Amino acid sequence: MECLKLEFDVDGENFSSAGNASESVKRTLKQIGVPPASVRRVAIAMYEGEINMVIHAHGGKAEVDIYPDRAEIWLKDRGPGIANIDLAMKEGYSTASDNIRSLGFGAGMGLPNMKKYSDEMKIDSTVGVGTTVFLRINF
Amino acid sequence: MKVSSFTEKACLRVFNKAEDREIENGYCGDFLSNIISRAPENCAWLTVMNNVNVAAVAVLIDCACVVLCENVEPDGALLERAKEKGITLLGSEKDVYKTSLILGELCRTEN
Repeated sequence: MECLKLEFDVDGENFSSAGNASESVKRTLKQIGVPPASVRRVAIAMYEGEINMVIHAHGGKAEVDIYPDRAEIWLKDRGPGIANIDLAMKEGYSTASDNIRSLGFGAGMGLPNMKKYSDEMKIDSTVGVGTTVFLRINF
Repeated sequence: MKVSSFTEKACLRVFNKAEDREIENGYCGDFLSNIISRAPENCAWLTVMNNVNVAAVAVLIDCACVVLCENVEPDGALLERAKEKGITLLGSEKDVYKTSLILGELCRTEN
C-alpha cells in the first residue's frame, strides 16, 4: 500500500522546538484530508512522545508512516530506558524534575495519553540502552 | 462570541493579536498534557504558564485564544512564537477562576 514517510530529529536540549514534529505531522494530515478527530489523536500522541524524548532521553528520532487508513509512528531514543513500564504507564506517575514540572510538563500523563489516543502501542525499552515506542492510529 | 468581544468586555490586555476567531468554549489548566488531551477546539484557554511550550500546545489544540491570567506576561520566546504561529495571546489581571467566570457569563449570554 502506498505510504508517505516523514522523519524528524527531536532536539533533546531544546524545549522551544518541542512540538515542531507533531505540528508538522498535523499540518500534513490536514492537507491530505484526514478526518480532524484522527489528526488530533495523532498530534496528541506524537507531542507526548516528543516531549518524553526531550525530557527524559536527550532527544531522539521520530518516524511517521502515513497510510490511507492509519498512521504508524516510531519514537526512538538512546536515553536511560524505562525501568518499570507498568509504573510509567500509570496516570500521574512521573520522574520529571521540579524544573521540568515548572514548565508545565511532568503530569505523569505522557505515556497514558499516548495509549489513550492510539489503537496500538508497544514499548520496547532497555535500561541504559534506550526506548522505542510504536504507535498505530487508525483514521 | 468573538475573541475581540471577550477582550473588550473582560478588559484583557492584548500581547498578540491574530485572527478574530469565535470562542465556543473554555478550558483552564497549566499541565500541558491535560490541556492537549482535554481542551476543546475553539476554546479560550486560561492559564498562568508563560513559556514557549504554551504556543506549541495552543497550535495543537487549535484554541481560539490563550489568556495568561494573574498579570502573567509572556516571556520573549512565547511572544515571538505566538506572532509566528498566529496565536491570539491575551492577558488578564484577574486569577483563572475570576476570568473563567467572566468568560462563562459572556459565552452564556452571547453564544
